[in-house]
Formats: sequence, structure tokens, C-alpha cells
Amino acid sequence: MKEPMPFDHRPDTALGDALRRALDPGDAAPFVARVLARASEVRVASWDAVLARWARAGVAAAVFVALAAGYLVGRATAAPAARPSVYDALMAPPAHPGEVEIVLASVIGN
Amino acid sequence: MTRAAAGDRAAFGVLVERYAGVARRVARAVLGNPEDADDAAQDAMLSALVKLDQYDPRRPFGPWLLRIVSNAATDRRRRRTVRRVEPLDPGLAAGGPRPDTAAEQRALGERLRQALAELPERRRVAVVLFDVEGYSHAEIAAVLGIPEGTVRSEVFHARRRLRALLVDWKEEA
Repeated sequence: MKEPMPFDHRPDTALGDALRRALDPGDAAPFVARVLARASEVRVASWDAVLARWARAGVAAAVFVALAAGYLVGRATAAPAARPSVYDALMAPPAHPGEVEIVLASVIGN
Repeated sequence: MTRAAAGDRAAFGVLVERYAGVARRVARAVLGNPEDADDAAQDAMLSALVKLDQYDPRRPFGPWLLRIVSNAATDRRRRRTVRRVEPLDPGLAAGGPRPDTAAEQRALGERLRQALAELPERRRVAVVLFDVEGYSHAEIAAVLGIPEGTVRSEVFHARRRLRALLVDWKEEA
């Protein structure tokens, strides 16, 4: 038998067989019957609860994918808006000239 | 799995039958005593049944179950009355007189079990899962909750000890 290598990734069949025999638990039938008898006393979750729990992760993933896709599509299709320069902003006429005049009139009046 | 979790007795029976052997061997590797091992394996199976709704079906079932088995066996070992660790019988360790063929396998088994009992618990489970059950280092890492590199190291050290015992046995033969 060779000295084992530190990173030997293959099972040692000789050692495995010997250990299997050494740890052999014997007939499984009585054990299985005992476990099943006890299992009937154990309350378990309903079908709905189990499926809902397993589906929850899937729904969350689907929502995330949909949001990400929507964001990417929206970003790709939206035309980039031209940003006004500082000069344009200063020289542009006021959006509500009437309000400016009212304010000026009240200041002058005071 | 879903059917078992929802209380389908037959489906759970299939799971128990499929994993009874490995669960009992792993528990026995931890506990030594076969009766204690079966109790721990049974507790683990029932615990797994209750927790089935927490199982992630995208992951392999075996390592998930064996983690529960390993933990159940460890808990039982801690809880049970502290027994003195019996050292390896010097006669067995040194080989001793060769038994007749009829008793040969039993004696080898006894020597292996005693040698296993002297290994640290994690090392025992690692070598049994790797060499007996054929699980990968990654799967054993998931079972034991340790890094994969540590699993390799544990398997290496366990093999060195157990292989030496087997070599002595063969040389005596």
C-alpha cells in the first residue's frame, strides 16, 4: 500500500471497503421501520407551505431580473437630454415672467 | 422531496431507505456504539423531516442530510454519560495472535473501529465520507462546515493512521 499523497483526490477503495465492513450497521429494515413509525408522530409542513417557501426565492429572483431588465432597456432607449450651459441658463427668459414683474413692482412700491 | 416534506409517508420512506446506510455509518464513526449511532441517525432523520421545508432543492440532498446526522451524533456524544475512552488494545495494536479465518474480518473491524475512535471526530467523519461513501472534498466541507483544504488535511491524516494499521494487518497475514 502506497503512502497517501496529501492531495490525493481518489477514494482509497481498500481502506474504504475495510471501513465499510467495520462500520456496517447491519440490516436496514428494522431501522427504517423504526424511523417511519416515529415519523408518523412528527408534524410536518403542508404542501402549500413547502411550495410557497421554495417558490419565494424564485419569485424574488424573477422580480430582480425584471427590474434590472427594465432599467437597462429604459436606459438604452431614452435619448440623452442635452444639458444647458451656464450661459444659456442665465440668458434664457424667465419661465414665469409675470411673477417676476409682480415681485419687482412690489419691491419698487415699497 | 416536496412530497416527503408534505407528509407523504411513502416518499419519506424512500428517502430513509436510500440514506439509512450512510447515515448510520457516519453516526457510528462519531459515536462508536452501534445502538447510540442508530438513535442518533434516527433523530437526524426525523429532524431532517421537520426541516425539509428549509432544504434548498438546488443543492445536493446528501450533504445537507449528513450535516444534520453529524451534528446529531456529536450532540448525543456530548450528552451521553462520559465514558472513559478505551485505549487501543495493545494486543490488537501490535497485531497479537492471528485469529482464525472465521474471526479475521471481525477482528480487523474491531481494530479499525478502535483506531477510528482514537482519531479526532472531524477526522473520522471526513475519512468515512471520503473513502467509504465517496463524497467529494467540497461536499464534505459542506457537511462539516470547514474549508475544503482542511478536509483534505483531515482525510490525509486519518488515512495515514488507518493505512498503517491495514499494512500491519496484511504483513501479519
